[in-house]
Amino acid sequence: MKQTLNTRIAADIGGTFTDVAAFDEKTSRLLLGKTLSTPDKLVRGITQGVQKAETHFGDSSLFLHGSTVAINTMLERTGAKTALLITQGFKDIYEIGRINRPDAYNLFFHKHVPLIERALRFEVPERITAEGDIYLPLDEVAVHALCDQMIAQKVESVAILLLHCYRNPYHEERVKAIVRERMPHCFVSASHELSQEYREFERCSTVVANAYIGPKVSDYVAEISEHIREDGFKGSFLIVQSTGGLYESAQAQQECIRMLESGPAAGVVGAQALCRELGLQNAVAFDMGGTTAKAGVIYQGEVLTTSAALVGGYNQALPVQIPMVDVFEVGTGGGSIARVDPSGALQVGPQSAGAQPGPACYGLGGELPTVTDANLVLGRIASDRFLGGEMRLDLRAAEAAILKHVGRPLGLSAKEAANGILRIATTTMSYAVKGVSTERGLDAASFPLIAYGGAGPLHACAIAREIGMAQVIIPKAPGHFCAFGMLHSDLRYDFVRTWFNKLADVSFKELKGVYQELVNQGKKALTHSRIKAAKVNVAYAADMRYVGQEHPVTVELSESVMKKGDREAIKALFDAVHLRRYGTCAPKEAAEIVSLRATVSGMMKKPPLETIPKGSRQVLKSAQTGSRSVYFAELNKSVMTPTFQRDALRSGNRLVGPALIEEYASITVVLPGDRLRVDEYGNLVIDIERNFS
Amino acid sequence: MKSTLPSKPKRSTNSTRNSKTSRMMKSSRPNKSGRADAVLTEIVRNGVLAVTEEMKINLMRTAYNMIIYEALDFTVGLYTASGETVSIGLGLPSFIRGMSNTIKAKIAHFGNNVGPGDILVTNDAYITGSHLHHFTFSIPIFFEGKLCAWSCCMAHWPDVGGVLGGVTTDIFSEGLQIPILKYQTAGVVNQDLVDIIFNNVRIPERAMGDLRAQIIAVTTGEKRFLELLQRYGRQNVLTSIERIMDNSEAKARAQTRAIPDGIYEAESFMDDDGVDIGKRIPIKVRVIKKGEHMTIDLSGVSPQVRGFYNSGPSTGISCAQVAYKCLTSALDYPINEGSFRTLKTIVPEGTVVSAVKPAAMRWWMTYPMTVIDTVFKAMHQAMPDQVIAGHHADLGLGMVNGISPKDGRFFMGSVGPSGGGWGAKSTEDGMSATVCMNDGDTHNNPIEQMEAKFPLLFLKHELRQDSGGAGRFRGGLGTEQVVMARSSLNFNAQVDRMHCQPWGLDGGQSGEGNQVTIKLAGVVQDKFPNAKVLMKRLNAGDTFTLLTGGGGGFGPPQERDPARVAHDVRQGYISQKAAKDTYKVVLNSAGEVEMNATQDLRSRSDQ
Repeated sequence: MKQTLNTRIAADIGGTFTDVAAFDEKTSRLLLGKTLSTPDKLVRGITQGVQKAETHFGDSSLFLHGSTVAINTMLERTGAKTALLITQGFKDIYEIGRINRPDAYNLFFHKHVPLIERALRFEVPERITAEGDIYLPLDEVAVHALCDQMIAQKVESVAILLLHCYRNPYHEERVKAIVRERMPHCFVSASHELSQEYREFERCSTVVANAYIGPKVSDYVAEISEHIREDGFKGSFLIVQSTGGLYESAQAQQECIRMLESGPAAGVVGAQALCRELGLQNAVAFDMGGTTAKAGVIYQGEVLTTSAALVGGYNQALPVQIPMVDVFEVGTGGGSIARVDPSGALQVGPQSAGAQPGPACYGLGGELPTVTDANLVLGRIASDRFLGGEMRLDLRAAEAAILKHVGRPLGLSAKEAANGILRIATTTMSYAVKGVSTERGLDAASFPLIAYGGAGPLHACAIAREIGMAQVIIPKAPGHFCAFGMLHSDLRYDFVRTWFNKLADVSFKELKGVYQELVNQGKKALTHSRIKAAKVNVAYAADMRYVGQEHPVTVELSESVMKKGDREAIKALFDAVHLRRYGTCAPKEAAEIVSLRATVSGMMKKPPLETIPKGSRQVLKSAQTGSRSVYFAELNKSVMTPTFQRDALRSGNRLVGPALIEEYASITVVLPGDRLRVDEYGNLVIDIERNFS
Repeated sequence: MKSTLPSKPKRSTNSTRNSKTSRMMKSSRPNKSGRADAVLTEIVRNGVLAVTEEMKINLMRTAYNMIIYEALDFTVGLYTASGETVSIGLGLPSFIRGMSNTIKAKIAHFGNNVGPGDILVTNDAYITGSHLHHFTFSIPIFFEGKLCAWSCCMAHWPDVGGVLGGVTTDIFSEGLQIPILKYQTAGVVNQDLVDIIFNNVRIPERAMGDLRAQIIAVTTGEKRFLELLQRYGRQNVLTSIERIMDNSEAKARAQTRAIPDGIYEAESFMDDDGVDIGKRIPIKVRVIKKGEHMTIDLSGVSPQVRGFYNSGPSTGISCAQVAYKCLTSALDYPINEGSFRTLKTIVPEGTVVSAVKPAAMRWWMTYPMTVIDTVFKAMHQAMPDQVIAGHHADLGLGMVNGISPKDGRFFMGSVGPSGGGWGAKSTEDGMSATVCMNDGDTHNNPIEQMEAKFPLLFLKHELRQDSGGAGRFRGGLGTEQVVMARSSLNFNAQVDRMHCQPWGLDGGQSGEGNQVTIKLAGVVQDKFPNAKVLMKRLNAGDTFTLLTGGGGGFGPPQERDPARVAHDVRQGYISQKAAKDTYKVVLNSAGEVEMNATQDLRSRSDQ
């Protein structure tokens, strides 16, 4: 019995909304649904979103999912009762951490708070050296005794961290096997399965985070799996990782930490998909929501990734050492609060009014002025068209809040104060964009800015001007962009192994051997997957540095360079990356390899982008919904600005700013002089006027 | 998830009265629109923060020595044309003044004889106020033909020549001294200078790597600051910088006003200077608070000593500035000159924090921290809820060098900085295992990395039970590291505050002091007169142990919430014995508090 299943469904659960995007292969149509998230029972939001998108699980071959469940479990500290098994002598390295005090003058500073209390950190007699040799054999009897203790204490999850396991995982494997045998219902995670990079605190924090969130995330995935099967789903259930790649839900139940940043990563993958369709090599992906703005980058067609991230703010961060999309985040969003401190300094964020009490204009009890209030006061948002008119905004409350907290203290009118708030927000957000571009040695000015998320299109043109970027692209349905991105993702397995070797001494036979091992692991995972990938891609890279340096840069190695063992070519590639990143390189200095990276991707068939009907240069009369007075600093005054309904725009339409393009969950502000055209896929492509700055 | 723009919340100030000082009136001249100043000021504030943050990241990521890339022992910053601090990237607090003074000295030295493409250098310990390891590079930033600012970077070079190990008694034995010079003139590198450096340091390739990293940092600062000037206009940016400083001044001023007027004094001691063993070194401070001004008088700090624990006059000022910033505007960023306009520092020449040539300076870092802590001790009388009990106040370094069995080459490195205990406050426990006051965003070195680089095997790195001073709020715990040599090497530890333990406040007890021991051929040696274990030869299998102190407690231990005591026992932060003997808390076999017995015990011991 073979049934044709034509639909792939993607659902992105965020803090406020659950977004569903579905692609119907038969009709080549993209279906969208947006619904409020249901925190008490997240799966219900998926069902509702799928209904809103007017599709059915029964017709679907693939379900792709991204969720904040992993990060929230970590941030809200609602994970399992977890124990740590660690090399004897080192149970406190997780609490000692890196000993730094970023707020160096704050006598009331606080360190990171471990996810496992000291009483549940147990030491295992064993020791492996930096060379991978066994210095002290594992005392298995002692491990059994520790299992007795953990059972007595009703431990639900176990993390294992043994020193130098990236050189020799044998002891970690043995400990895991014993714990599995003795505590079969317990979640168990060993550090080398997640990270084969040195740095014991970071790896420890990673494996602990995985074990801590494991039971909850695993149950969550199981619950969704069961739920969608009840809804008639017979296809494959994949989850988005922080790299933007997909993995099987079964693997996600073990390596939960890999889905930590699945939503933001999917957005960047969406931007990559858009680049592919539009023939762009490079772009900055910019996402702005209620509390933060995030930027990622697509460089030469690839999403740039990083090997670690800090969770929970720099000062008290818990590091997670796994590959992730390189996302730079600043604490500026629609809900960011503007305030004047007693010395007369105006600041915007990082405190956010969030959804509760929300901006003053929401009328939900918020009294402090926010970026959203500033947009309303300046006329960029209309009080009667927010979320398609489903939510009325209180303009007077916004004005009053801005006047009281910013305008009067600084002697500014409400409009001037609102404009000041937006200028500060714009520059702050421009640092997110610069953080992934100019600070990586990439010329941001030549990159288009792809802006999405509820608030991204409101600010994108201003940010582009701030940085001197020439073009902004607002994709279709920017509020669903992360879910859209998931539809364009591939199965992906990332492997990194620390492998210290001077380039001059590298045995390429050995190097190829390590790569082969990593690639085989990836291919094995692909074979075990129920998805038949259209094509398998393997990408090789090496983390390299000059001999004596510590921090490496990642150098992509083509298969031919790697297989030929061309030392000089590898060195030249490394010098070039160092030059791009830091503005200098040392071609005469010797280089060394720190880690080898392999990414194995099972390329999925991508849905084609849906096209929209063709129109003329002239926008249809019916697309213009009216006009309103909007303040623009560039003109130093308010002008009547036409508003357009995005759904009614046609391919080939052009217009010149100022203009506002409104749609259900977002508004695009086209600044005076900016030239907009609608492309065949319904993207708004905006060329930025350079005479204003 | 990661944000490198530290747009941090401010400690609120109580009042804006009097915020219009004469200085502020002068500087609030209009740019485009006087009223828009607050907006542009905030934009420029975020701008200079981003510049110094990027300088920091680039230096860290391109450096060659662990003390820079991992320990982040460096300071980067932007300065006004006259050398006033505009923004210092998170770095060494004790160097808060050093770079500004170094630029001022460079300006005094060269006058107008600096131009675009110049890079100035020095490691003069008496100018930086620290030691010869601190190479500082500065670029004068020219825009539209005018000097607008300076981009600067100090970083700690692990070796600058001089004797290895022991305690030095003059500057000449400490290594190469580079006076104020041009490293680069109009874009042309002074190769003679480079060659001199190359010939005077033990691992020249590393030193040259760090030099390149520092040049990357200062050129990054120059490039990004020029972008700010281009984007917003020279005068607008410079006016905004004045406003940033004025705002910082206003915050510090308001906080200072809130402190009760009076004269506050305190004294503490260092163990010794490593030469005159056992001779305590007095650290006496006097704080005069009147109206909106504070004077920190360090005249009572010990005269300079023979051993290498001296620092220069810039550091005397740093001590006062760090203490003052902690008490008045700890969370105000960027760190800038405005915060210190209401502070006066009195430091006569020739003390241990204002030493003159040829005083030995190599271990300059240790004493200033205790000076700063002593200011908090003095101010406890005035502002008990905003100060902190004593901390371990030492970097806790174990220095090793020798010939690596792997490649037969000379190596040198350090175990540490080690985190130690910090003092308790009137409302909360002290933090455990955190870097001392000298350092800020300084990291320790991963064990896996240390073992890959050096012939060492760590046997232990744990918290020290009962090391935190007992109190209503407990001091943080120190740490214990046991490290084994895997081949012969030389060991030195120049640690202080073993005898002069981190003090408690308000009836809180002292924390344990710092200590260093070794075990040679199986025999423990722990009867040293101080924590300075010098020039020891360790063979394969021998070990050394670094113990860092705990923080002082706050308030009487018997007032500690018994539930917290039970928690501390469960976690092993304190022993059952301490719970009973010191905190007077009785626990049952399950570790739960026996309330009645505890009350009995506490009331009996009150008598």
